[in-house]
Amino acid sequence: MIQPQTHLNVADNSEARELMCIRVIGASNRRYAHIGDVIVAVIKEAVPNTPLERSEVIRAVIVRTCKELKRDNGMIIRYDDNAAVVIDQEGNPKGTRIFGAIARELRKLNFTKIVSLAPEEALGRKRGVKRKERDGVSLAFGIAGPQQEARTMGY
Amino acid sequence: MRIEKCWFCSSTVYPGHGIQFVRNDAKIFRFCRSKCHKNFKMKRNPRKVKWTKAYRRLHGKDMTQDSTFEFERKRNRPERYDRNLAENTLKAIKKIDKIRSDRASDHIKNRLKTGKVQRQKEARKQLEQGIHLVKAPLALAQDSSLHLPKIKVNVSQAQTEGNQPMEE
Repeated sequence: MIQPQTHLNVADNSEARELMCIRVIGASNRRYAHIGDVIVAVIKEAVPNTPLERSEVIRAVIVRTCKELKRDNGMIIRYDDNAAVVIDQEGNPKGTRIFGAIARELRKLNFTKIVSLAPEEALGRKRGVKRKERDGVSLAFGIAGPQQEARTMGY
Repeated sequence: MRIEKCWFCSSTVYPGHGIQFVRNDAKIFRFCRSKCHKNFKMKRNPRKVKWTKAYRRLHGKDMTQDSTFEFERKRNRPERYDRNLAENTLKAIKKIDKIRSDRASDHIKNRLKTGKVQRQKEARKQLEQGIHLVKAPLALAQDSSLHLPKIKVNVSQAQTEGNQPMEE
């Protein structure tokens, strides 16, 4: 539940460190933003001597919220902080690496670049097993997420 | 779909229940209900919280080592479906479950045995000493049908001639 004035961590290696939400993109008086929503944010804290500066207005997509994310299969997931990834107008991430856990919902919302920017070891995918639907959390660190369904109907 | 274990109390979490908390180092904590979730947020150590399985195992209240635990391992490789295998597995699960719970309750029974024996001893002693609360000593002496239950007393001292008339 991100709203204007909310401070968010930045989950990639673009030169911003902390963002403050200014506006939730969507409807005209949309109140809250959840995981996968785009927000307009101002940079509150940035790495010094970089192109992105403090008090610059940019767009970001939310990747982690402290508010629980509910899935259709009844799974409820909560993260430890509010975090966003800086993107440009088309939706491509500005940074080249993502830090921390990312929710599966981003893949469906066409943020595939962000989802795929995890380092090699961290996809949580078992070799040789096709996944029809990966239900879980794809992680940017080398720890596998909740395992896929035990397929009893054959591959 | 997978049946998980609650991180705090070690009970089973079925799909659709509980909350998963993903920490920033990507470790996932699963909780079966808000009780466990709230205890976790309070930073309580499950090994110190009396009603959790972790505490009970640590303090020897519950069975820790048994061969039946070997069957319930986390398997990450999905099996190709085989009807016979599935059927046998289901039968085996039932049987193993029964064996495991029988052994666990035996473990608890054995643990509680010493307390039971102690309590019986104390009850006997209390009866012997406090029989005057139940029946007046005169009535006890007159009516020969009423008598205390025979109690075996181990006498360790050697009986001397001088003591014998006193002992009754």
